[in-house]
Amino acid sequence: MAMHFIFSDEVVLLFDFWKVHSPTGMALSVLVVLLLAVLFESIKVGKVRLLHQALASLPIPTSQQLIEETDQDSSNSDSPPVSRSHLRWFLCHFGQSLLHVTQVVIGYFMMLAVMSYNTWIFFGVVLGSGVGYYLAYPLLSMT
Amino acid sequence: MDHSHHMGMSTMDHNSTMSPSHHHTTTSASHSHDHMMMMMPMTFYFGFKNVELLFSGLVINTAGEMAGAFVAVFLLAMFYEGLKIARESLLRKSQVSIRYNSMPVPGPNGTILMETHKTVGQQMLSFPHLLQTVLHIIQVVISYFLMLIFMTYNGYLCIAVAAGAGTGYFLFSWKKAVVVDITEHCH
Repeated sequence: MAMHFIFSDEVVLLFDFWKVHSPTGMALSVLVVLLLAVLFESIKVGKVRLLHQALASLPIPTSQQLIEETDQDSSNSDSPPVSRSHLRWFLCHFGQSLLHVTQVVIGYFMMLAVMSYNTWIFFGVVLGSGVGYYLAYPLLSMT
Repeated sequence: MDHSHHMGMSTMDHNSTMSPSHHHTTTSASHSHDHMMMMMPMTFYFGFKNVELLFSGLVINTAGEMAGAFVAVFLLAMFYEGLKIARESLLRKSQVSIRYNSMPVPGPNGTILMETHKTVGQQMLSFPHLLQTVLHIIQVVISYFLMLIFMTYNGYLCIAVAAGAGTGYFLFSWKKAVVVDITEHCH
């Protein structure tokens, strides 16, 4: 494995079927990696916004009930029927966890893409991170 | 011709201990490659034969060993997520005590105003900061281990990392999302 950055139009990225041989293939691959990086940054912002939205939509007493519930002995698998807002919170948190898994996997894919030591791919990842940050982070402070 | 060539290569293999063996195995292989065969895989694969994991003695050769490695990596990723949440809550707990310092200051027209200073920091030699530093080192090491595990490109181990991260986030961030953000709303 080459341990230095090289400019090349040939690379194999992540999967056996992702073989790049030509400049057009390389340009397309750089675009895909760029979009992946943009998606990564937007997922990071999306997680925080989802959490804020969920906390804002749930009324405050419900959140306090959740605190009391988690403080109690949590050995009740056959608990009384869950109210609608508890179910909503559970679904929201489950969705957050799935988003977190996606974020972790995409982050590792980007790391492996950079590990190919192809300079074009590296530029794609860095540029995509920049563009993603530029587009997504203003949405963080937006209410 | 081919047989003698192969014999010549294998004797060279025995004699020269310095040269890496995978060079010779490449040239004596029946199907030819135009480039040197990579010792480290560069694409995802599913397999459990001869999988090196992090350390030189740790090689997976059977399905049972792969199952054990899957569980271990899963637990490591879960522990990493839990460590992140634990560090956040420890930081918040150690900061609450020194957050607000109120002191009277003279205001306009001779009135006394209460000025509240918000200090969010720790002393360098305090125990919470030392504990945070130790936990930070552990977190950095574990995050690099997880990166190296993902770098083996083994499909089973990568799935274990992702699933462990997701499960750890789900289990540990549940209470954190409920408790910690509520306190943030109060400020």
